[in-house]
Amino acid sequence: MNDLTNPVEVLGIDAGGTMTDTFFVRRDGKFVVGKAQSDADEANAVLESSKDALAHWGREIKDVYPEMVTCVFSGTAMLNRVVGRKGLRTGLIVSKGFEDFHRMGRAIQCYLGYAFEDRLHLNTHRFDEPLVHIHDTRGVTERIDAKGQVVIPIRLHEAREAARELIEQGVSAIAISLISSYLNGSHERAVRDVVLEVAKEMGSDIPVFASVDYYPVRKESHRTNTTILEAYAAEPSRKILGQLSERMKAEGATFDLRVMATHGGTIGWKAKELARSLVSGPIGGVIGAKYLGEQLGYENIACSDIGGTSFDMALITQGDYSIHKDSDMARLVLSLPMVAMDSIGAGAGSFVRIDPYSMSLKLGPDSAGYRVGTCWPEGGLDTVSVTDCHIILGYLNPDNFLGGILDLDVPRARQCIQDQIATPLNMSVEDAAAGVIELLDLSLRQHLRAMITGKGYSPRDFVCFSYGGGGPVHAYGYTRGLGFKETIVPAWAAGFSAFGCASADFEYRYDKSVDVGINDESSPEDIEVACLKLQSAWDELKVKVLEEFAISGFGPESVTLTPGYSMQYMGQLNDLEIESPVKSIKGKEDWPALVKAFDETYARVYADAARSPELGFGITGAILRGSVVTSKPAIPKEPKSGPTPPENAKLGTRKFYDNHEWVEASLFHMESLLPGNNIVGPAVIESDATTYVIPTGFSTFLDEHRLFHLVEAD
Amino acid sequence: MSTYTKKEVGQLVDGTLVWETVHQMLSMPKDEDRYKLYMEVLQDAVSYDDKILLAVGPHLNVVESATDGEIIYKCDCGHDFGDYRNNWKLGANIYVRDTPEKMDQVYPRLMSPDTTWQVYREYSCPTCGTMLDIEAPTPWYPCMHDFQPDLKTFFEWVGLPAPAKI
Repeated sequence: MNDLTNPVEVLGIDAGGTMTDTFFVRRDGKFVVGKAQSDADEANAVLESSKDALAHWGREIKDVYPEMVTCVFSGTAMLNRVVGRKGLRTGLIVSKGFEDFHRMGRAIQCYLGYAFEDRLHLNTHRFDEPLVHIHDTRGVTERIDAKGQVVIPIRLHEAREAARELIEQGVSAIAISLISSYLNGSHERAVRDVVLEVAKEMGSDIPVFASVDYYPVRKESHRTNTTILEAYAAEPSRKILGQLSERMKAEGATFDLRVMATHGGTIGWKAKELARSLVSGPIGGVIGAKYLGEQLGYENIACSDIGGTSFDMALITQGDYSIHKDSDMARLVLSLPMVAMDSIGAGAGSFVRIDPYSMSLKLGPDSAGYRVGTCWPEGGLDTVSVTDCHIILGYLNPDNFLGGILDLDVPRARQCIQDQIATPLNMSVEDAAAGVIELLDLSLRQHLRAMITGKGYSPRDFVCFSYGGGGPVHAYGYTRGLGFKETIVPAWAAGFSAFGCASADFEYRYDKSVDVGINDESSPEDIEVACLKLQSAWDELKVKVLEEFAISGFGPESVTLTPGYSMQYMGQLNDLEIESPVKSIKGKEDWPALVKAFDETYARVYADAARSPELGFGITGAILRGSVVTSKPAIPKEPKSGPTPPENAKLGTRKFYDNHEWVEASLFHMESLLPGNNIVGPAVIESDATTYVIPTGFSTFLDEHRLFHLVEAD
Repeated sequence: MSTYTKKEVGQLVDGTLVWETVHQMLSMPKDEDRYKLYMEVLQDAVSYDDKILLAVGPHLNVVESATDGEIIYKCDCGHDFGDYRNNWKLGANIYVRDTPEKMDQVYPRLMSPDTTWQVYREYSCPTCGTMLDIEAPTPWYPCMHDFQPDLKTFFEWVGLPAPAKI
């Protein structure tokens, strides 16, 4: 059955560790969400999930795939491969004498990703197994100094020997990362060519990755890790995405599969730099919030995403998010530009325990994950989780948990909370469970407030978007009293990350480190040299960006290039990313414009009085983004109806523990509510994938874009 | 609060427990029955009947004698080093590495201390020969008394009845 007036145009895929979600959007903005158990064969899970989603519309894959124009994939497989150290065996060639820096991980890698207490607790510090074993690492004599000058010429016979040994040892890929190669790539390229030559002689076709071809940026630990990931983790993903693309084509798909990348854009699955898609899920939400904001006129947005294990926050100011250049992921320092986010390890599934010495509640840092909590006996857990507290207090419906696929044992959860929390604290079970939820809300609220005020803003200037499976449950709790302009819960909160991925631009971003310093004493010639240096870096990056688009079949004429640079006041430690006011630099006459753009941004991000032009200006990096136009999901728009919810949306009432007493909360079916409907708490709005809680003192209305607005009574 | 099985505590002692669990043990408040389980694991590993009160090293424990209730240091093989308030090292065999040649046996040349500044003293059991401890002092320093356990306070902390003769 084909619906030609309203074709399905966009598909977002979120392939998680346990569930694979698909999010299909029609031209009119109507959407469906599908779920399937994740599978070792990812293509299978995607097709199953698609089938599940399209069944809501009574349609089939073979009818829908041909009419789609956009499909974006995000998944955790690559990240899991890194965390579980199940990547491709990779050999590493470095400058001689530097063989150990990779496993030393800048020392910081022994506590990256830890909770604050554990960072201070030295006994817990521990290095993970390095990505490349020391036996698969070789040094080659050479040296390039910090100015890019050759100090010791490269001894290529050593590189030949290294390549031969590594291939004989059985590595499946070779990464090359020499000291200071970002300033002068000649040695690395020479080694790369020799390694390819040796491989050919030995009849091997293993891939070779030189850092200069991928991430020509300073900080060798970051750069080396990232280059290794390109071999270790991304190579296997290339194969899997290739299979998925083939399977989709077999079903009639004509779209080009894209992948969500850390910098906030999507890239083709055949991209050279696929390691950029290492982390994508939480980023999708931020991109989705930005897109919604653009469409509906919200400039300043506080994004908050609660999943089972973490709370992720990001800020969109004046319509844009900021980018972290040296992000860390999976306990590795990396040189991937990444959408700046703050995460804390507390979520809707965190474990709850009592500290026996202080007799205080402690949340996390670990969580129940797919095992839910003590309320699901088959999960095999006997430690109380936050979900257990939600279940016994009537926040969640035990008969419709995850759409009713799990059988929950409420009395068991009650008993566990009684034994583990209520009795030691000498409280009633209800007050103990409510205390847990209050504590979680308080902690989320503090972090959210700290993130906003810490950057010099006030919540009054922001709209808060709340999404993720747990967002709508806690939205009232962590926004209460913060004074946001508005709190918004999209009806598709649970599929918001997939939605965000689908709304991202098709965009490549390349970075290169540049060292430029100009102050009062610099001559016009110095400025001329500096300007040309930046332009030549852009030229170099432009070749790469156009190459990537060419792989997906886009010629240079359809690519919009946006050059940028990172600038700082000389002597300061932090730089800011600036979108260049000029498309290309002809010479020193363009310098004032570059400086002015930075000065203005600095004044906006920090404060006018903090500007320090007397220190001089440094350019630390060149950035080039290239994008092509793609189809994005339409935002739903439905006609408004009255404030009273229709009868078929009413599901009766449920006992709900609110403000230290049991009340009767009205229940509603989320999908049946109509725009304009207004609901006053205590109420609970249910859908298969999420639950939206409105306690006493709050009300909510649904707007014509299927966004719920949460309103706190004065 | 977390609880662990005797098997997990056994693996902790052996060094075979998975890191995630070790990390959790380190980060979380100590489980109530850890001392009891830990002592059981150690007790299972030795052939003597005297009750182990405290581990001093991988093969040396403070025990309550099964015959007279005295509290003594005991090697895994059963060798008695005497009262726990005295320095057990005084009853051990000592081998002192105090020449470059002797250091060469344990570390490559130039990667060990200058023996005019620092020596290694290896203490072993006179009965079974197991090495029980090594100290690395300056050559003239007396035999070190590492510590004297305050068993009375310790048993108050773990909330268990203390042995009669402490």
